[in-house]
Amino acid sequence: MLRIGVDIGGTFTDFAAWRNEHELVYTTKVPSTPPRFAEGFRQGFERVLEFVKPCRDEVMYVVHGTTISTNTVIERSGPSIALFTTKGFRDILELQRLRLKRPLNINEQRTVPLVSRDFVYEIRERVDGSGNVKLALDEDAVRDATRAAVKAGAIGIGVALMHSYRNPMHERRVRELIHEVAPRVDVTLSVDVWPKIGEYERAVISVLNAYVRNKMDAYIGEIEVYLRSRVSSGRLFITKSNGGLMAAEEARRLPVHTLLSGPAAGVAAVQCLGEAVGKANYLAMDMGGTSTDISLIRDGVATVSNSAEVGDFPLIMPVTGIEAIGAGGGSVAWINSGVLKVGPQSSGAMPGPACFMRGGSLPTVTDAYLASGYLNPSNFLGGSMSLDKSASEEAITKVATPLGLSSIAASEAIISVATSNMVAAALPYLAKYGIDPDELTLVVYGGNGAIHGPLLADEIGIPRVLVPPTPSVFCAYGGLVSELAHDVVRTVHGSKITENLLSETLKDLENEARVWLRAQAEENQLIGVKVEAIAAMRYAGQSFEIDVSVPSALAGIAVAESLFHDEHQRLFGYCNRQGPVEFVELRVRIKGALPAPAFANAQPVKGENPVVGHRTLHIGGRVHKDCAIYDRMKLSAGASLEGPAVIEQNDATVLVPDRFAAEVTSLGNILLKRKA
Amino acid sequence: MDPVRTTIMNNRFTAIVEEAAAILYRTAHTTFVKLVQDFQCALATVDGDIFAYPNQSGVAVFIGLPLQAFISKLDKESLKPGDCFIMNDPFSTEGIVTHLMDVTIIRPIFYDGKLIAFAWAFVHASDIGGSVPGSISPSFKEVFQEGLRVRPVKLYEAGKLNTFVRDMFFDNSRIPEEIWGDFQAMLSALHSLDRRLAELCERYDVCNVLAAMQDVLELSEIKARSVIAAIPDGRFAFSDYLEGFDQGQYSYINTVMTVDGEEIYLDFTGTDPQIPTAYNIVSGPRTHPYIVQGLISYILTIEPDAPRNAGLLRVIKTCSPKGTLINANFPAAGGSRVASGTRVYDTLMGCLNQALPGGLVAAGSGMVGIIVVTARDPLSGRNRVSVINPLCGGSGARNGIDGVDGVDVRFGALRTVPAEIIEVETVMLVREYGLLQDSRSPGKYTGGAALVMELENTGIEAIMTVRGMNRFHFRPWGVKGGLPGRLGEVILNPHLSDKASIGKIDVLTMKRGDVVRITTPSGGGFGNPLERDVREVSSDIRRGYLTRESASRDFGIVFDSNGDIAEDATALKRASIQPVLPEFNLGWERVGYDKIWPADIRARLAVKVLAEEFGIQNHLMARVRERLTKRGSCVTEGDLDQVLTQELEALAGPAM
Repeated sequence: MLRIGVDIGGTFTDFAAWRNEHELVYTTKVPSTPPRFAEGFRQGFERVLEFVKPCRDEVMYVVHGTTISTNTVIERSGPSIALFTTKGFRDILELQRLRLKRPLNINEQRTVPLVSRDFVYEIRERVDGSGNVKLALDEDAVRDATRAAVKAGAIGIGVALMHSYRNPMHERRVRELIHEVAPRVDVTLSVDVWPKIGEYERAVISVLNAYVRNKMDAYIGEIEVYLRSRVSSGRLFITKSNGGLMAAEEARRLPVHTLLSGPAAGVAAVQCLGEAVGKANYLAMDMGGTSTDISLIRDGVATVSNSAEVGDFPLIMPVTGIEAIGAGGGSVAWINSGVLKVGPQSSGAMPGPACFMRGGSLPTVTDAYLASGYLNPSNFLGGSMSLDKSASEEAITKVATPLGLSSIAASEAIISVATSNMVAAALPYLAKYGIDPDELTLVVYGGNGAIHGPLLADEIGIPRVLVPPTPSVFCAYGGLVSELAHDVVRTVHGSKITENLLSETLKDLENEARVWLRAQAEENQLIGVKVEAIAAMRYAGQSFEIDVSVPSALAGIAVAESLFHDEHQRLFGYCNRQGPVEFVELRVRIKGALPAPAFANAQPVKGENPVVGHRTLHIGGRVHKDCAIYDRMKLSAGASLEGPAVIEQNDATVLVPDRFAAEVTSLGNILLKRKA
Repeated sequence: MDPVRTTIMNNRFTAIVEEAAAILYRTAHTTFVKLVQDFQCALATVDGDIFAYPNQSGVAVFIGLPLQAFISKLDKESLKPGDCFIMNDPFSTEGIVTHLMDVTIIRPIFYDGKLIAFAWAFVHASDIGGSVPGSISPSFKEVFQEGLRVRPVKLYEAGKLNTFVRDMFFDNSRIPEEIWGDFQAMLSALHSLDRRLAELCERYDVCNVLAAMQDVLELSEIKARSVIAAIPDGRFAFSDYLEGFDQGQYSYINTVMTVDGEEIYLDFTGTDPQIPTAYNIVSGPRTHPYIVQGLISYILTIEPDAPRNAGLLRVIKTCSPKGTLINANFPAAGGSRVASGTRVYDTLMGCLNQALPGGLVAAGSGMVGIIVVTARDPLSGRNRVSVINPLCGGSGARNGIDGVDGVDVRFGALRTVPAEIIEVETVMLVREYGLLQDSRSPGKYTGGAALVMELENTGIEAIMTVRGMNRFHFRPWGVKGGLPGRLGEVILNPHLSDKASIGKIDVLTMKRGDVVRITTPSGGGFGNPLERDVREVSSDIRRGYLTRESASRDFGIVFDSNGDIAEDATALKRASIQPVLPEFNLGWERVGYDKIWPADIRARLAVKVLAEEFGIQNHLMARVRERLTKRGSCVTEGDLDQVLTQELEALAGPAM
């Protein structure tokens, strides 16, 4: 059996492959080929096939992370779609719960909805908050609206009716009526995506799904056709925003679940790494060319967000919680009102930093790394690319001269400012979870994570930094270890909770989740199934609920309430055990594990001197002459070294600041520890 | 100002205050604090200048709040690490607290035994006693009705709790545990500010940190100066009315803005004396951010990256006469001060429109109302008070950008409660929630549309209160030929033949089946409607915002026999119209009122009444205003002085 992880980013498409009962993982990367991403997929995949040489009939799981859906929303390149909603709520997409992002900006504007107001059709019907039909569905209105929408050019329709999370009858009937009139139109019902109370957010998820569906359908279809032509028994899975996987068929039907999948696969891999290394608090840090994503893994569990956003639209399904920071290796340094600033503008992949020699002339963070001695101009990405140090220095002069600084001092200033940009986002992010940097291990990956992560750790007092073996293809590696995962929800807000309601609802949800899992993979393909029940609860009168993991469907109200008080105490530092508690929603998350590689013991390396050179490093205003440069391939498990130093490897560079020492762990990770 | 240290330290300071604000938000107890985010924390220099202020959570109205009134009265020698001063008295703190509900705690921060900064935090306490639950009613005449009032006092002395002070708050609130929970959230935030600033001193040396505080203040000042310098010099005046609680009680707000190089001087002389309702603001003698919000917004619109601190205020000097609505004396009530703050904001925008070539923005809806319903809770069977929704109305059109529909930008941090949650938690059924057709006020750029909310009571009886409604008499004004917005309106039972327009809601009792339809004001338009891009008009029609009738009447559009826009005929028609394009279109209601009360005369009335003894000001104002308004002809200086004299005599009573 083969398992292949594929992760498409804006610059590179990364691959990781693993064969059952082997420890070795093969990785490679090829340039991405936007907008025809399938081309890059094929190029890299051919390279993988050449290396792994699949046997005839060897089962192959291909796990694919894609940002096609995300890009469709951000670039607004989807087709015309319509929304059918309850009469009285035509402006549901326009009003967006009224909120504006920057109320201090006199010229602030609201996000333009994905569905134009003339493509929103009001349907006479009404279900009340108890799920009773107050006004019957006007079936002719649905037929008329369908004809009008199709005539206007809509190729998909989202349906979001009031209180459908409690009584979906009208939404389901609307789909039948639409198909009666227009059988080929794509229909997404809000209840099929996420039946949660809150009409705006539910309308948005039905719209988002309808909006990205045909592009994702076409793309996945293209990949499937290609896979069928190359391998005999391949099965394609797609990465989800919750860090799990789903079958390709499911992704073609409900692509809304892929909208935030980009960074989620990496976090799933960190969680998996955490399981191997030891349960603790980790901060995942994925730093690429344009931005840095951070995400907290608390007690070994990735944090879940029910209030994420994609392109300014809310996503209410549970997704891996990510904080994006506008600081990457390509972030540009500039001067504003006499002070040095770095980013948010980025030179991106093209033209890139000045040292890439692709026409970029602006000073970037990567240029500052090179000028400060962190990067090796002749051994970047395993020597596949050479860097022009003089181009970096020339670019840096553009900010150094007006600031009256030397080129080196300006480089260090650029790096320090970039670090402080990250600090400004990271500390408040951790504070939201009540976590102190001192309790964390930073796990760094992405092209620049292993350089800048240690600097960030040094600055905010994170005592440990973990660098996995192949940091720059870590998200593709996530495709080798992630599990099928699905969430289902039932809103119980406003219902009187009883023992029966609680246990029956949870049992129903578990059944629903198991039906989903069976549709994704055959039972014999799974090596384990886990079911978790979650109750979103709050004190009566509160407007914010918190998730409580309930031990089983039969745990009962008292146990759930007791766990709620504990969790409230843990999160907010207080609880009121006598206070009345409300149940807002119940959820079940199911996970089905496919065969996956274990984090293998590192291969011993014999004899060779790991020190391959010496360079001067400039770190935080201090000059360190003759620092040792190591080759990671020549470092055996158990090897240790003292900062300041640099460890070079094929796909990344690790900076060990002077206040840190590094060791290679038994699993082949590099662990940086703050010196006592 | 060190060019590198300034950026790095600004990031570090920002991280510290954002982290503390996140802690405050996360650990606060009351729903109000959580839902409306009416709280904040910040760091100030030892001189009382706030140098770091959060952006991601909490309110923005106190950026750069001056803490000098508190600090100047301190015996700095006796301060100890771990001291925390609590206060909620607006008068003795000269506006550090602007109304009683904003309970404030200030903590000195020491490093190596030396005072290096102050940490400040407040939360809007959900109840501090007083005559009504929640402590706020617009009808209150004096601060005593609003609850407990406390001058700065040590809640903690060197880290030790003064239980007497705590119990004083405990014993005077309807919900002592909840507000104490909010206070603890503030204390946690203050502690975090203290700890993190000390860590920063450890890392970067205290001298650098202290110098960087001045650096970031200077950076903001430089940015603010560059913004003001780009505004042409001159003197610009604008006035507007706040609609008070009683019939005909229009309070005058008079603003004169003088732009002089890199600085701005605001003179509010001619603004009405404080009134016996809860609309008064206590703002003190220094430039107060609550009063100059409009200018702070303008500076941050042009320079969004400017650090949010007291440096922004250094370029703005103000004169707010004591005893006026916006700088009220003891014992003014102030629970609903947001209404006056909104109108002051409007006058600043009025001045900026004149100062900036090409103008800036038309008036927004000019109100923010909160609908609260008290009714039987279907689940528990007990009466329950529920916040249904904030109501605002569209923003004014901008120079080059249409207004925002349904909400004014300034109140854009508010978020509505989903209709489904309203229906599950209360007896109200939301029959309609959307934008009103033809309410985008005409202009080259159109004003933000009015919001309509139609609610039906499905329970036995429901009591609805809406605090903060305004612009039911004087419209949000249009600019440079843009038409004014529409007025707010409330209709009871619009589907029945005996439907009635009932004006602003104070307290409305709804029977089962009663329907109330609330329409907010809409924002004013900007520029000549005949210059509006025909494609925009076409798009507005297609999307249902605009009817053909209005397009034809207001935008000079001609339609062909197919109902499509006839472009050539439209161009001809537009060219044939000689439009009147006033700088400001205040609406006929206000124009009519101004015919009786010219601006200089109305300001004179305010000044004259303010000069009288406090006890008679309100009576005198009401009598003179009513008498001359009723007369209906233009008031001259002579008329005014004569009537003032007569009414003063009448109030004095017959001579003994």
